[in-house]
Amino acid sequence: MIIHEEICVGCGRCQPYCPTGAIRYDGLKSRIEQDICYECSTCLRAAHCPVDAIAESPNVYDYPRALRRYFSDPSATHAATGIQGRGTEESKTNDVTHRVGPGEVGVAIEIGRPTLGMSLLDIQRITRAIARAGVHKIEAHNPIHSMIANEATGELKPELLGERVLSAIIEIKVKRDELRGILRTLLEVAKEVDSVFCIDACTIVDQGLAIPEEVLDSIRAEGLTWRPNAKINMGLGRAWE
Amino acid sequence: MTHSLHREGSLESLAKDYVLFIYPARGFNYKGSAPKIRHNVELLYQAGPVNMIPTSLRRNMYSGVTNEEILESITVEGTRVYSVFNDREKLKQALALIKEADEGISIMVSGIIDDVRQIAAELGITPHMVNLSLGIHGRTDRLAPADIREFTTMCGHGVVSPHLVKDMIRRVKTGKISEWDGSVIMAEPCTCGIFNPYRSAELLREKLPLYTVDRW
Ligand code: SF4
Ligand code: SF4
Repeated sequence: MIIHEEICVGCGRCQPYCPTGAIRYDGLKSRIEQDICYECSTCLRAAHCPVDAIAESPNVYDYPRALRRYFSDPSATHAATGIQGRGTEESKTNDVTHRVGPGEVGVAIEIGRPTLGMSLLDIQRITRAIARAGVHKIEAHNPIHSMIANEATGELKPELLGERVLSAIIEIKVKRDELRGILRTLLEVAKEVDSVFCIDACTIVDQGLAIPEEVLDSIRAEGLTWRPNAKINMGLGRAWE
Repeated sequence: MTHSLHREGSLESLAKDYVLFIYPARGFNYKGSAPKIRHNVELLYQAGPVNMIPTSLRRNMYSGVTNEEILESITVEGTRVYSVFNDREKLKQALALIKEADEGISIMVSGIIDDVRQIAAELGITPHMVNLSLGIHGRTDRLAPADIREFTTMCGHGVVSPHLVKDMIRRVKTGKISEWDGSVIMAEPCTCGIFNPYRSAELLREKLPLYTVDRW
């Protein structure tokens, strides 16, 4: 995003809207720090600049900078997947797709959340750690899949590593008895990343929304707890195509 | 996309905050989904959501669109709808109507697990899957304070900036804006329409005494 210097009146209204603090005063005008701007469009969409000085930068869709927009602007459709957003339908449609089956756990690593963002180097730190732990399959419909240069090592395409995005989700699937190992790996790599990530674990429930003990035991065994609020697929969908 | 999973706050506050998604599955039930999704949204309206957005419009209830415009926009196959309820009974009513209509589109609810379990039992619904949040890891020292995150995590994509929350606290506290208007301003950047302005107005009231503001 850019601010047209000749138009900006320096009211500062746009500044609090920026999640990364990229809009700052430069003299009497506001200016966007291009290195740290995530291209999330929040300032353009919501800040209501009184003189319309905020504009999309001409190079926003140039590769690899375009990644910033695809991952950071919730209304942008990702070129690689045709899906709006950073992830896939994951647990949201599992009652129809059965992508994560009985005896499996879908694990999502939501990097940069809540509201911190990160360099793609942090994504690589995590994909490498997962690969070392023996998980080489990132969900194919997830945009991160197309960023991987080497599935065996978890390395990303080198030209991407200078980019920053507001959030991204690494989605993998493990057997229930492998959950503990992958959680341990994530807790170890957490010491190396320069951002934050949330861990999600999704699993098919037993009758009466009973969460399988085997899954809870693995979570407890790594010293983790789960929040009292969760996301629940109500099981009301069905396939017809 | 798991953007409604990590809402933070007290149990009491989260008990007034349930996200409901209507979500067709690409390749499984996209074809012919538009009228079914539209019907589900008509049912949602009967229960009274406090925010809603269809992906066909990308404008939420506080951006000047009418309920009719929202419904009229749902003609595209695969339109997804995101909504929020601020009351357990309203959520239950929405689920009861959707279950009875049986349109076959996936429904996700984010909220307190025990409450959703109870509602499902009361309605004879058999939930399929749970997605648990195992917390935040890494450089948590770089995060905004927990009480600011109670606002910002209502937008899972992170486009409600902690700076905006602090600015609204300052503006409400200095009498420049009401708690409700400040909440609607915070809701606007959230393009998934799952920021709950009723909850944030309550949160503003609760947090105001905790923050000092500059005199000028
Ligand atoms: S596009 Fe997003 S990150 Fe960039 S300046 Fe605007 S609000 Fe900040
Ligand atoms: S809102 Fe517009 S005029 Fe005001 S500081 Fe930002 S760009 Fe400049």
